[in-house]
Amino acid sequence: MTGAAYPDWDSVYRDNVTWVYRLMYRKVGNQPDAEDLTAEVFMTALRPMRMSATVPEVRKYLHMTARTVLAGYWKDRMGRQITTIDDDVPESSEPEQVAGDAPETVRRLLQRLPDNYRRILELRFLQAASVRESASQMGVSVANAKVLQHRALRMAAQNGAEASS
Amino acid sequence: MSEKNVRRFVDNLLAGRPTERARPDDFEAEQMKAAIELRSARLGSDAPREEFLTDLHRRLSDDSVDEPRQSGWRPDRRSVVIGGSVAAASAAAGLVVGRNLLAPDGVTTAEPTSQGQLDPNRGTWRPVGSSDDLIEGAALAFDLGSVTGFVHRTDSKLEAVSGVCTHQGCKLWLDAPDNRLRCPCHSTSFSLAGAILTHQLPVAPPPLPKLAVRESNGVIEVFAPTKSA
Repeated sequence: MTGAAYPDWDSVYRDNVTWVYRLMYRKVGNQPDAEDLTAEVFMTALRPMRMSATVPEVRKYLHMTARTVLAGYWKDRMGRQITTIDDDVPESSEPEQVAGDAPETVRRLLQRLPDNYRRILELRFLQAASVRESASQMGVSVANAKVLQHRALRMAAQNGAEASS
Repeated sequence: MSEKNVRRFVDNLLAGRPTERARPDDFEAEQMKAAIELRSARLGSDAPREEFLTDLHRRLSDDSVDEPRQSGWRPDRRSVVIGGSVAAASAAAGLVVGRNLLAPDGVTTAEPTSQGQLDPNRGTWRPVGSSDDLIEGAALAFDLGSVTGFVHRTDSKLEAVSGVCTHQGCKLWLDAPDNRLRCPCHSTSFSLAGAILTHQLPVAPPPLPKLAVRESNGVIEVFAPTKSA
């Protein structure tokens, strides 16, 4: 397996486009940007790629390209890195698992919040509920739900910053 | 200092809109990061759209049309310089250049995997029609329960293929005037012999499996799996 190369660019695309998209999606959180970034990765990477490169080499190369493309995107949009793609690619892991620890990170993040903060973030971010729906589910006013969401995200960010420093 | 940056960012994020430009401070950036983590953890939201995959495939194919096709790779130092770390990465991975990757017109000419034979463990010869029903160049649909398919006669030889699209299993229909089998799901079409003729998918689906077919005493028979009792 280690020495195997892809037979053609079609198979490079087919085998890798999904994990590249997922990786990008997890780093930007929205579909239009994730699509643009995925397209940029393949536009940039496929052209100079040598077909005799092995499968792990191709994946590593795509991963590094994705990293550069994401960095450029954040620099343009925000003037700084909001999220990054890790430098080291776990050699053995399947591409599907490249960004597979995201749910665990979120679980930890939510666990450290008071109940009503956790609830509002779950409703709004994970369950796609509107502010109004969330408010009625939690038995609070709409204005109250907005404040809760705002404070909950601040606390989650604070915890996150402490955890990483 | 204001909360506007984060609020607008989160509103866009939750509405599925692209990120707008802003200049957040440290704490705002941290909140944006947390918001992204939360949003992207929503179940099932990170699967790419089929239309996007198809469209990108087409763009990548089109991109190569102005480029002469090359056999084998040819080092070309200009193309290596894409940007600092990408070039470094490609060097590290031992990747050199060559513009041989994008086959022209890849959407329709992608070489699919070879055509298999549907060969059941336990099967019987089952009649699907009379020989008279199938003149030279014509095709006939059959449904034997365990398999459906199409049999056609070309150069006086019979050939039968499965009637299920190899992409996602939709039932093909016989477009007799056009001499092809069409899939209602994604506009894929196959020749009567089972080869891909057109498709709009990122990657060509495999050809249709063939079924064993014979003529015996004026009856066309297909070798089909035996129904379980």
